[in-house]
Amino acid sequence: MASKFGMPGGIPERRVRSIWDAVDSRQFKAALKLATSLLSKYPNSPYALALKALILERMGKPDEALSVCLNAKDKLYANDAVQIDDLTLSTLQIVFQRLDRLDLATSCYEFACGKFPNNLELMMGLFNCYVREYSFVKQQQTAIKMYKVVGEERFLLWAVCSIQLQMVYCHGKPTIALSNGHKDKTKWEDWMAWITWIYGSVTEEVLCGDGEDKLLLLAEGLLKKHITSHSLHEPEALLVYISVLEQQAKYGAASEILSGKLGSLLIIEVDRLRIQGRLLARACDYAAAAEIYQKVIESCPDDWECFLHYLGCLLEDDSSWCSWSVNDKIHPPKFVDCKLSHLKDDVFDLQISNALAFVQKLQVESSSDFIRCPYLANLEIERRKRLYGKGDDMKLIEALLDYFCSKGNPASYNCQLTIVRFGHLACFASDVEMFLQVLTIDEKMDLLKKLMKLSGSSSTVPIKVLGQSITLFKIQELFGTLFKLPVSGVAIPYSLEPGSEAADVCTTIVLPRWLKLESTAIQMTDMYCQNLPLSKDLDPQENMHGEELLSMACNVLIQLFWRTRHLGYLLEAIMVLEFGLTIRRYVWQYKILLLHLYSYLSALPLAYEWYKTLEVKNILFETVSHHILPQMLISPLWVDLIDLLKDYLKFMDDHSRESADLTFLAYRHRNYSKVIEFVQFKERLQHSNQYLMAKIEEPILQLKQKSDNIEEVECVLESLSFGMELLELSSENRCKSLTFNEDLQSRPWWTPAADINYLLGPFDGASFCPRENLCSTAFVLFPFVTSIVKSEVFIKFPFLISWKLPQTKEREANARKVIERRSLLPRMLYLSIQCASSSMKENVETNGSISNTKLYSELKCLLERFAKSLGFPFNDAVKDIVGLSIGDKSFEVFNSDIIDWMNFAVFLNAWNLGSHELNLPDGDGRGPVSWHMVDYLIEKYTLENLRSMQPLIRAPGSDLPVLVQLVTEPLAWHGLVINSCVRSSLPSGKKKKKSGHVDQLNSLLSQAIQGSIQSVCGVMEEVTKWLREQINKPEDENLDTLLSLLMRRGLNEGPGQVFQILEAFAASTRDSVLCDRISQALLQWSPVGVARKIITSQCTVLSEFLRICESNLKSLKALKQ
Amino acid sequence: MTTIRRFCCNDLLRFSSVNLDHLTETFNMSFYMTYLARWPDYFHVAEAPGNRIMGYIMGKVEGQGESWHGHVTAVTVAPEYRRQQLAKKLMHMLEDISDKIDKAYFVDLFVRASNTPAIKMYEKLGYIIYRRVLRYYSGEEDGLDMRKALSRDVEKKSMIPLKRPVTPDELEYD
Repeated sequence: MASKFGMPGGIPERRVRSIWDAVDSRQFKAALKLATSLLSKYPNSPYALALKALILERMGKPDEALSVCLNAKDKLYANDAVQIDDLTLSTLQIVFQRLDRLDLATSCYEFACGKFPNNLELMMGLFNCYVREYSFVKQQQTAIKMYKVVGEERFLLWAVCSIQLQMVYCHGKPTIALSNGHKDKTKWEDWMAWITWIYGSVTEEVLCGDGEDKLLLLAEGLLKKHITSHSLHEPEALLVYISVLEQQAKYGAASEILSGKLGSLLIIEVDRLRIQGRLLARACDYAAAAEIYQKVIESCPDDWECFLHYLGCLLEDDSSWCSWSVNDKIHPPKFVDCKLSHLKDDVFDLQISNALAFVQKLQVESSSDFIRCPYLANLEIERRKRLYGKGDDMKLIEALLDYFCSKGNPASYNCQLTIVRFGHLACFASDVEMFLQVLTIDEKMDLLKKLMKLSGSSSTVPIKVLGQSITLFKIQELFGTLFKLPVSGVAIPYSLEPGSEAADVCTTIVLPRWLKLESTAIQMTDMYCQNLPLSKDLDPQENMHGEELLSMACNVLIQLFWRTRHLGYLLEAIMVLEFGLTIRRYVWQYKILLLHLYSYLSALPLAYEWYKTLEVKNILFETVSHHILPQMLISPLWVDLIDLLKDYLKFMDDHSRESADLTFLAYRHRNYSKVIEFVQFKERLQHSNQYLMAKIEEPILQLKQKSDNIEEVECVLESLSFGMELLELSSENRCKSLTFNEDLQSRPWWTPAADINYLLGPFDGASFCPRENLCSTAFVLFPFVTSIVKSEVFIKFPFLISWKLPQTKEREANARKVIERRSLLPRMLYLSIQCASSSMKENVETNGSISNTKLYSELKCLLERFAKSLGFPFNDAVKDIVGLSIGDKSFEVFNSDIIDWMNFAVFLNAWNLGSHELNLPDGDGRGPVSWHMVDYLIEKYTLENLRSMQPLIRAPGSDLPVLVQLVTEPLAWHGLVINSCVRSSLPSGKKKKKSGHVDQLNSLLSQAIQGSIQSVCGVMEEVTKWLREQINKPEDENLDTLLSLLMRRGLNEGPGQVFQILEAFAASTRDSVLCDRISQALLQWSPVGVARKIITSQCTVLSEFLRICESNLKSLKALKQ
Repeated sequence: MTTIRRFCCNDLLRFSSVNLDHLTETFNMSFYMTYLARWPDYFHVAEAPGNRIMGYIMGKVEGQGESWHGHVTAVTVAPEYRRQQLAKKLMHMLEDISDKIDKAYFVDLFVRASNTPAIKMYEKLGYIIYRRVLRYYSGEEDGLDMRKALSRDVEKKSMIPLKRPVTPDELEYD
């Protein structure tokens, strides 16, 4: 900023410099003093005013800043003699932007440009204003004006980018610039003038197209005209030109341009060839395209994507150009989509043999051990043959084996010897994942056996042997064979329907004894420990060899827990990961597994601690915080939750604010392709489901925090425009297309998405749960996909369960409903408090008014929306909730939505208090039936939960989060309704006193209120009693309980076997004389310490919850007399 | 199996498995986007089959006269794809662009003095320690400024090491 010196209006530079210096060094008071003194000398200088406004804004005085800015603006407009300079405008712009008044900045620039029409600097400022406002049409118009003034290429490209942006965001609708053309004579004339200028005359083509076509033609015409007179000089300009032609499907023309003189703008040859290949392929000139791609592969033999394009062209298949890149650029499918059926047999054979010959040539020529593409290409070719129905049964397996390791060269080795190829690499399994899917179960087992045999004979280098063993485990994971192993040495414990598909699957698998599930975990852990010496000379920051073994062992142990419900396995899984982190504390994969395990155990502070060590920040907030945020949202750890939400929202809001300036930077640096990308990215983040949720949950959290004090709740509500702000967030426009940007790949198999946790059930041991990819919008890779329907993917679990994978549309619809319900909540709470209050006034003062009617009708309307988003018409929802309260229905019917239903009941009651519209069966003369209904529901559900709750230490995944939600939401909201009634019943002037006045109301309602206070207090007392019992349990007793799960001496099966390996290894390391860093690290290993931390962490959660309960209870008791 | 292409904004939403690594810094958005807006040719990502992100490189070109040079700001590879010379491939790509498109004299980079594995790797790629920058990293750890001459620097003048360490204030560019 210090560089912005200048002397608008004759102000001496030194005076300005001192002000900027003070601002830059954050000496705002001094800066203000200087600016005030400057103003006294130049009272009419808009620049001096702008400086003052800037300082005021920085001092946190937005209102004063705005007023000074407006004054400066008036002066600018008023003084005809003043030369309007960009420095004044840009300073004003900075302040207006920080005050969220972009419109005012724009109008200043618009005024200036009107006054000095050909001033390029001002026009650029105006263009920038439109970039900030995302006004693409106005950007286009301004850029064209600048182009007309100076004829520079860059301004033409700015205009073309603005046209392309209109295409993206006005898709399917005529744009404002053109659609208004017919109505707005001036604009239409403008348009016609342009067309004439570009084309020389108005052609029929231009007049006939729709809005989009016209715009693209305009862009193309502008570029063509410019090229004729000036040519093009920037590679990015050429790329934009090609994209304009591509958007109009003018592939031939684009290809011609690229091969011509302009093509030389792209200096890197392969970059040009790649585009050329794409254009030819899209023009269906597959032969020419294949030739081009062949050239690219020859110079980049490891380019997998290019190989797929090449193969696609040979097989005349355009799938790779219309695949995921068009629809969802975040969650690509793991496999390659392809079309084959259209090819004739002989053509297919010929092209496949061409591809094979080319691939073989590449293999011979490849000079590096790290070039994998020509070998994987074999697999892809075999896969396509198989999909076409011409697969040779053994060829694909052979290609897979060859990718793992190759037979030695007969010329120099014994043919029987095999040499390692890629089988030892950590990426082997993920490389071949897509090819395993087309294998039959028999083939899978055959492959596994062969790989096992090969792995023993292909290398003696320990690191490679280890790598191959890990690969084998991974392949088994992918096949799902681990999920079908018996828990221990006994027969397969599944009860299968005879003749069922699942039974067939099971009987085809021959399980070697060593592959028992528990033994597998033992083997993995042992392998990890035995191979640790391989890593002792590595830098501590480097990944150690075999680290994945512990993640895999953990996954197996969790599966054992899932199938046996023996908590020991879960604890053992934790020990395995903690052990790994003791040795090397940087392994983020362990940390993520651990944090989910701790969350499941209600040891949330510990989970959060590990989360913090991941150092999630910036864009990772958007992609990684799903690991912790959902659990925290329903926990009592409010202080940490506030931090999480605040950091995340700040990141998202900051990006939203600065994104346009970065877009302008791309314009300025002539990287036009980035302009469109930046705008799309900003839109993507703005429509993030997680972002909307966080924006809604943050204020709800504030309400929860203040729920023991109605006045403070009202303050929070007031700051939210009484809930109206949040209602807007769930508006159709905002939720139109939600984006899901979470990276779900790193989640554990048992909780593949935040709302799915297999450890909560089913546990019948007959279920099988795959790793799946919920985020994929296309078909999901999975060994047991038995039927694929175009719009949905049905996965049949081999054992009895059939489960439909939620697709984006379905997920989006669900998310939208949740967003709607949550966004309604603050407004409903506000209206409920008002309704409760007005109902009392009616009782006391009998002065029901028209405004009350509005209140009731608005609340009813929201209740109807709420019910609808739960999937019910209002009347049915009321019927169900009443049914529940009179015992006709059970709580199970409401499943995971129970808290929403309880909230509904609470707000329904508040509405009914005032409106009396609810036609409910008559009570027993104790006051409004709806009131008793809520009391009853809260009491019954809470006490039922409490009765069935086990100590956390014995029952992980317990109902604690539900209980927390129950207390902090419906119960708290109901408390506020009660509070509002009581407060309104007090004689005016004495409202601050909160006791002793309910008795004054000798009405049915007051009885109901008293009864309700009694009931809710009773419930809360029960909850606090249970919490105290849990908290006061001696720590050592809990410790013994926990450790006894693992220390099961004398038993050769069950939990504890893996743990013993860890203990034995730690002991042997301690006893050894070695002093390497691994043994040093192991000195810190303390399983008792781990167990103790779990107990302490659980206790913290309970204590925090108790604190909330006590505070709410105190507030309720104050109402009771 | 490496498809190397320009890095785009959406890759920011897909690189968490690379960036969760403790040595890989996750910068703020304006940092990434400034690089994308100004030097898109210096920001590349490598993808594996199944469109998995293997790693990426970000850099820029800056300087004047004979100090016109390419700069490697970050290069990182996901654990699954390490020990396959991917970083080497990405570095070569950046060097190639600096050399052929921008006609720079040399490429340089900064590395933590304690990051021995990285220093060794850069040395293997032909970089030398040009100078030590005292307390370059958050005022705590020294940084090493490593350089490799490009074809325009025929006499390899850019690679003559400085004898004395410098302070961050003395650096010509941030």
